[in-house]
Amino acid sequence: MSQHEITLVVNGEAVTRTVSARRLLADFLRDDLHLTGTKRGCETGVCGACTVLREGAAVKSCLSLAVQSAGSTITTIEGLSDGVMLHPVQEAFMVCGGLQCGYCTPGFILSTVALLAQQPHPSETQIRHGLNGNLCRCTGYTQIVEAVEAAARKLHAD
Amino acid sequence: MHDFDYLEPETIDAACAALAAGGEDTRIMAGGTALILALRQRLVMPLRVVSLSRIAELRGIHQADSGEISIGACVRHADVAQSPLVAGHYPMLAHLASVLANPQVRNQGTLGGNLSYADPSTDPPGCLLAIGAQVVLRSVAGERRLSMEEFLVDYFETALQPGELLARIILPAPAAGAHGTYARHLRTAAEHRPMANVSIFSAGSLARPKKVRLVVAAATPVPVLIEAARMLEDAMPTCAAIEAVASAAAMAIEPLSDARADGEYRRTVVRVLAARSLAGHFGLPGDAS
Repeated sequence: MSQHEITLVVNGEAVTRTVSARRLLADFLRDDLHLTGTKRGCETGVCGACTVLREGAAVKSCLSLAVQSAGSTITTIEGLSDGVMLHPVQEAFMVCGGLQCGYCTPGFILSTVALLAQQPHPSETQIRHGLNGNLCRCTGYTQIVEAVEAAARKLHAD
Repeated sequence: MHDFDYLEPETIDAACAALAAGGEDTRIMAGGTALILALRQRLVMPLRVVSLSRIAELRGIHQADSGEISIGACVRHADVAQSPLVAGHYPMLAHLASVLANPQVRNQGTLGGNLSYADPSTDPPGCLLAIGAQVVLRSVAGERRLSMEEFLVDYFETALQPGELLARIILPAPAAGAHGTYARHLRTAAEHRPMANVSIFSAGSLARPKKVRLVVAAATPVPVLIEAARMLEDAMPTCAAIEAVASAAAMAIEPLSDARADGEYRRTVVRVLAARSLAGHFGLPGDAS
């Protein structure tokens, strides 16, 4: 069955690997590149824990083949922080308590980054609509919404 | 996941040739949101997957001199939602594309993939039937153009023949006084697959519409055009007429009955949704149910 040499930019770094056609993007990131911040949750495209950014747009890496991302730019949770300072969205989730167990958090944070890039000052309704591809079974969402509002204020302080 | 060969042709002709050469163990992939899930669950086990994602001809939204709007099969839902052409002429479709599934799926899934997969529990097919859209199919034998009625055959079944792919969706030239309404019922706020939806498309004035098309979908194996809605044509819409049409719609369908909803419940939801949506569409007071 077919093997493909793919080159893509992951968190700012060009990587080239050979993958089989059936390799999922989620497994490629976690098992081949050891970027385990991307979580496998439901593995049926429902929970959003595996969300990554492709060309800046949120996608579910469990519903995507690695080969489909050849030539693309991918950002995972590991790519948000510079290694010293947290990204403002990460900071806001921490300060507002927008997490409990943390398993869904990388997906929520990446969806939030994509949302705020399109809608700098979303209403609560827009936040809930923009994050409705991500499930959290701990928080009840209230503090997640507060974290997104806090991140919007910090990122786009006028 | 079962292993397969993966092909990425760069033209429609090359894709059609790959499909013709591949035989029946070949599946087409557009965005992949539906097919990859089916592959993972071993609902399909093809030997070859032909990806359409590198074919530039299958992208883009254009308006022809005739006024028809052509949407490439591999245009993503997010692109439909953000298209000024679609929003300007068919706002109901732009709205639908902005609420379909969730942001991640809208960023990856395509309109052509959605139609070709023919899962009834989705948003676009009923709306496209209501507005009178057509589809253009391509194969090594050439091109054919079908109405949505001809294309949508049954539960997970379209008119696509082996070796054939959906190339583009054609929206008719915008009509004077055209108005559209799309409404759906979700079982829970977190469930993104509609249990029932209705699409209304009318032309002429709302006070005396010349043409009214009402389509019920998601509650049925394929979208159903409700003939009774034509009683609203060339007359002033009234609450009584709307209620009669909504009841007729509920009786005309053969609803799906499955773990998500019982058939009789779907029928009731269709009646209420149709009544409310028709009232909203024609600016009549509230909830006629």
